[in-house]
Amino acid sequence: MTETTSIAWRDEDVRGFGMAVGGAARVFRPTTVEQVADAFAAVRAAGGSIALRGAGCSYGDAATNTNGHVLDLSGMRAVHAFDPATGVAIVEPGATIRDLWRRSIEHAHWPRVVSGTMAVSLGGAAAMNIHGKNNYVLGSFGDSVRAFDLLTPRGELVHCTREGQPELFHAALGGFGMLGCFTRLWIETKRVHSGRLRVWGIVAKDLEHNLQLLEDLRDKADYLVSWVDLHGKGAGLGRGLMHRADHLGPGEDPDGLRYFDPGLQEVPSTLFGVVPKAWLWPGMWCAVHLGRVGLVNAMKFAVGAREQRQSPYLQTHGAFHFLLDYVPRWQWMTKPGGLIQFQPFVPRAEGARVLRTLIEKCHAAGHVPYLGVLKRHRPDPFLMTHAVDGYSMAMDFAVSARKSARESLWTLCRELAEIVLTAGGRFYYAKDAVLLASSFARVHGEPTVAKFRALKAQWDPDRLLQTDLSRRLGV
Amino acid sequence: MASGSGTCIVVGSSSGIGLAVARRLALAGRKVAMLARRENELRTQAATVNDALAQQRAFPFVHDAADLDAVEPLFARIEQELGPVDEVHYVAGVMPEVAIDEFDVGKDRLQVQVNMLGCIAWGNAAARRFLPRRAGCFVGVGSVAGDRGRVGRPVYNASKAGMDCYLEGLRNRLWRHGVQVTTIKPGPTQTPMTANLGLKNAIPADRAAELILRARDRGRAIAYVPGKWRVIMFVIRNIPSFLFRRLSI
Repeated sequence: MTETTSIAWRDEDVRGFGMAVGGAARVFRPTTVEQVADAFAAVRAAGGSIALRGAGCSYGDAATNTNGHVLDLSGMRAVHAFDPATGVAIVEPGATIRDLWRRSIEHAHWPRVVSGTMAVSLGGAAAMNIHGKNNYVLGSFGDSVRAFDLLTPRGELVHCTREGQPELFHAALGGFGMLGCFTRLWIETKRVHSGRLRVWGIVAKDLEHNLQLLEDLRDKADYLVSWVDLHGKGAGLGRGLMHRADHLGPGEDPDGLRYFDPGLQEVPSTLFGVVPKAWLWPGMWCAVHLGRVGLVNAMKFAVGAREQRQSPYLQTHGAFHFLLDYVPRWQWMTKPGGLIQFQPFVPRAEGARVLRTLIEKCHAAGHVPYLGVLKRHRPDPFLMTHAVDGYSMAMDFAVSARKSARESLWTLCRELAEIVLTAGGRFYYAKDAVLLASSFARVHGEPTVAKFRALKAQWDPDRLLQTDLSRRLGV
Repeated sequence: MASGSGTCIVVGSSSGIGLAVARRLALAGRKVAMLARRENELRTQAATVNDALAQQRAFPFVHDAADLDAVEPLFARIEQELGPVDEVHYVAGVMPEVAIDEFDVGKDRLQVQVNMLGCIAWGNAAARRFLPRRAGCFVGVGSVAGDRGRVGRPVYNASKAGMDCYLEGLRNRLWRHGVQVTTIKPGPTQTPMTANLGLKNAIPADRAAELILRARDRGRAIAYVPGKWRVIMFVIRNIPSFLFRRLSI
């Protein structure tokens, strides 16, 4: 692609966050909307395809485009403005959740929806319509987007709001980058009265207890998330540690005033104040590769009882939310095979039965996820939504470098997916790496898929925007 | 000298170190007059302090630190409205982007006005009151940048050096009469002013505020924040000029 001098494509190996999928692509990092438009025009003229990529935090192949082109938007990361009166921030797509909260917390505001890592780009968060630990209260990330500008593959810049362009608004949010590139987003944040949250750790003795806690606390708690020890068997199957966090009211935590300083919200970079956490992943690598994850989990579960006794305690927003940032490069513990995450969304009535079956199948197949995370969800108004009135359980699998083990893991995940789909469940494309094209319509329903394909044909008739994910699903 | 119990003034308290100092003073139960130029920012931040504490401790006063003639009447007004002032923190500062080959008198004048003359105006107004009372504390937040003139920002360096020298003279005049004058020299700190500099190992503004108030409580004349900068700047101050002019630091 040499049509435009400002575009310098580079050959790179582009992978998902989990390192297990992806491939070689020609990458360009635009810094202006004009460069994005030029890149669109150039690749479209050549009959190629482009994947849009933010911070590269999707676990699977949502932001990879093997043998195609990739637009890496991390160079467009300005937070243009933040209005303390309304709590609305105006951002570029490559700005991250960290960039947003660092600006908003100074003014006693916190993003309404954040993921478990702050590295995620806001354009990516909108495209994948991510959720946080409060999905059952405030909905998904799309629910906190007030408006956006979308550059369509034909080079048209469309301003979308719920009222102005309702169809495109609800399809592009959660549309995994198939309809256009967000070039500017208006994102709502929430007023907080302290830089900290009140947090409880609650031991859940098995899966049913975990689910019961989610039901009992959902009307009271602002955030709920449970770590699940998927190595637990028998009476301890699905055991874990639930974390509940609540916002504080005016005057409830005077010292929380100091924590409006963004510098105090960062996740600590050292352990016990001295050991750099960037050094921890080799130790975790040993646990994964020597088969000691069950032991580590059992210890973590045992320590949970002490945390429960010490609850509630106060914790900064950053420390509560961004658990995945506690150990930099933790994903390297799964090298060389990498990891995949399987995150089914299951309707409430089927929750206990389906999730129990999934865990038992993992044990039977000998692929036990090293990490499980259970959350409560509610439906949202977006076309390609993954949310249900029910539960999700994220299951992280280390992928073996051996081909046969890798294939048996994919086979297992597809078996699990079948159980989930039969129960009316859904999947989330920021995580998925295994679904087949035959499952796409079963996740969303035929009419929804037909509508999405019609929108794709309308806004991207040349099928410029493609990813490994979109080809796998037959979008 | 222990901290007092009267009203505090923090000049430049809508963001950064000044905001962190104002928050900590309010948390300690002091009445704080928060002064800044940007009215919206200032009012929002003062309201946030009062909201978090569920009582009114922060009182916003719009003030442009470059407006020297406004200082004396504003000081009088604050004392009239909030009671006698026994502590003043001068934290206002500007550091415009200056290209390596740029010599812009407009930018230079603003830095001298805000960083140096503003400090002098507030120092004088405080001294006039503290001297007869034989009590009070004036804290001026300068910078390690005031210890040497450097290629990047000659006038920022000069304005902070001028502030440093003025505060030393003021201290020598007042200390013998029971009035404390403390010069603070922060190293890299995470503030909106430095957000685009890509500083490494910058400390949070709240940590800087903690160390500033500790220096106040210990009655320090000059405090580097954090303390390691005293050693670093000792070395830098002693680099001979013939060598220093060849370096890019």
